[in-house]
Amino acid sequence: MNKLTLVLAIMLSGSLAFSAQARDQRDYHEMVYDSGCKTCHDQGIKNMPSDQACSQCHDIDELAVTTARQGDEEWQNPHNNLHYGKEVPCTECHGEHTPKQVLCSNCHTFEYPKHK
Amino acid sequence: MVDKSGRRSFIKGLGAAGITALAMPVMAQTNTESAANIKWDKTADVVIIGSGFAALAASIKAKQLGATDVEIFEKMPYFGGNSAINGGLFAAPNTPLQAKEGVKDSIDTMVADQLKSGRGIADEPLLRHIASHAAEALQMTIDAGAEYHPYLQQLGGHSVARTYQTTVSCGAGITQPLLKYSQKLGVKTNNRAKFIGFVQDDNGKVIGVKLLTGHHFEDPNSGKVTYVKANKGVLMATGGFAQNIKLRMAQDPTLTNEVGCTNIPGTTGEAMLEMFRLGATPVHLAHIQSGPWASPDEGGFGYVSNYSIFNFPHSIAVNLQTGRRFMNEIADRKTRADAELRCRDEAGKPQPPIMITSYEDAMEHPTCKKVLKYKVGWKFDSIADIAKHYGIPAAELQKQVDEYNQYVRTGEDKQFGKAMAMAHGKELRAPFTVVRLWPKVHYCQGGVQINTNAEVVDSLTGQPIPGLYAAGEVAGGIHGVSRLGSCSIPECLVMGMTAANTLMNA
Ligand SMILES: Cc1cc2nc3c(=O)[nH]c(=O)nc-3n(C[C@H](O)[C@H](O)[C@H](O)COP(=O)(O)OP(=O)(O)OC[C@H]3O[C@@H](n4cnc5c(N)ncnc54)[C@H](O)[C@@H]3O)c2cc1C
Repeated sequence: MNKLTLVLAIMLSGSLAFSAQARDQRDYHEMVYDSGCKTCHDQGIKNMPSDQACSQCHDIDELAVTTARQGDEEWQNPHNNLHYGKEVPCTECHGEHTPKQVLCSNCHTFEYPKHK
Repeated sequence: MVDKSGRRSFIKGLGAAGITALAMPVMAQTNTESAANIKWDKTADVVIIGSGFAALAASIKAKQLGATDVEIFEKMPYFGGNSAINGGLFAAPNTPLQAKEGVKDSIDTMVADQLKSGRGIADEPLLRHIASHAAEALQMTIDAGAEYHPYLQQLGGHSVARTYQTTVSCGAGITQPLLKYSQKLGVKTNNRAKFIGFVQDDNGKVIGVKLLTGHHFEDPNSGKVTYVKANKGVLMATGGFAQNIKLRMAQDPTLTNEVGCTNIPGTTGEAMLEMFRLGATPVHLAHIQSGPWASPDEGGFGYVSNYSIFNFPHSIAVNLQTGRRFMNEIADRKTRADAELRCRDEAGKPQPPIMITSYEDAMEHPTCKKVLKYKVGWKFDSIADIAKHYGIPAAELQKQVDEYNQYVRTGEDKQFGKAMAMAHGKELRAPFTVVRLWPKVHYCQGGVQINTNAEVVDSLTGQPIPGLYAAGEVAGGIHGVSRLGSCSIPECLVMGMTAANTLMNA
């Protein structure tokens, strides 16, 4: 049984790699691709990047200023929101190789037209 | 009881990191391991699983009582659980706002209200313990920085107004300050750390936990196996299981995947199941509550839930087929959810009823603006317009409104016996706001049995399982058949604090 699991595991990781290639890369990240997968995949190529990976280039405080909202929408700032403040890992809303819905859409109909 | 299957040596043999976690699905037996052959990755005084109200309150209390290392482990990428998306409604007797508003209340009255809704099977000693310390828990949140609306609300099933609500109308108004306070006190908070099993010593005492760290929720078995030793005890504050469709349907087959749910995705209950494997006593698992204030026009709790909770006392809920009310709008949750589920069209298909509120009264609460802005509620100039829009028999609807306004004036609801005190002076008058209602799976009354020390009770011996504590929604049986709204926050906070107390004095 153990051997079977191992085979399954290898098959599974293979398919993960395939799905990564299958998706159009986000062009504004082109230079990151040029520097190699490890630039983001800091925990091994087959694993999700760590929650710190994006902060090599992006600063949450700056992002929070960029996406700040006014008045009764103050707390709908995706980078500083009512429920979790600034502590939602980037990959909860942003997918590099698979498009993602924003986390808020679980319960709310907010619009983020610039979300990628 | 204790697993010595040698899976660890298998894992060791595999070597390569990253593949280890994928080997998990072969496990069928209990995940409990004996201490003998464990290499601990980490040691703490107090280990807390989960990061909602119960966990945060416990972590703060444990620190205040002098614990050196307190570690919180949360499987999700973000902290706060259901608590962080909750409605921020907090019931407590004998509070400063009740004194200010002249509301006469007592611990006995609050317990009596809860026992009634519990329909004879609630746990009175626990309810009394919680009601006795609820005001203290409220103060604890205020000390940590939580802020509340300057008025009370009267929720369904409560005989008086005793419910506070955070100014942001959300539990995040409590979890965010508590999380920051907890971290300030030196509590270590770890996300992406999923509890998967206990470690027991030779006497059956729980002395640690097995986790998957670096866990990604989408992949249930992802992460690195990590063992954490708990010097003083392990507190399970892992919430309910409303998002585990298989498990909830095993209890109540009507709760299929077609029924909406208000919870965060992480309320899947595996930690509770692991406690059962260890010997914990299951209580009331089939009592799963649906929220009668939810809307089919948005996901989860959304905005409408808080809107309806605030407005139900001075609104009417109407069946589209008949144009008539069909329930006491502030009956307990089960009564109302059952009544809503009976609203169907001729073919028997669900036909969500509507709630009609005077716009002026609805605007008293900040959610009204949101409901209109995000198009999950609508404004109408007349009853005739509402009738036309929803295809309701117009004459019947007008008659119903007139009758209801009579009840508002006399203070007596002849149709459903609704308590009219909060509706005083609030006749239905144009313009109106309307939302649609349909119940969503919301809260698990069931879970593991605990006592008033937050100790988990063994199903065979009836004795506390040494080293194991539980608090919050994962604990079962406290509320009986139907929990009253705003009674979970006090329960989670008080039992979290209680657990810390017991654990630090053990
Ligand atoms: C939308 C909504 C609104 C509500 N509004 C109110 C209200 O206004 N007033 C009120 O009194 N009650 C309300 N309730 C009920 C109340 O919020 C919950 O009962 C309460 O938050 C439960 O708190 P908790 O600390 O027990 O668990 P939670 O806050 O749910 O936290 C449990 C945490 O444990 C984590 N966890 C689970 N399993 C594991 C594992 N294996 N390993 C590691 N971590 C794990 C979960 O991811 C979660 O983060 C509401 C509930 C919901 C869903």
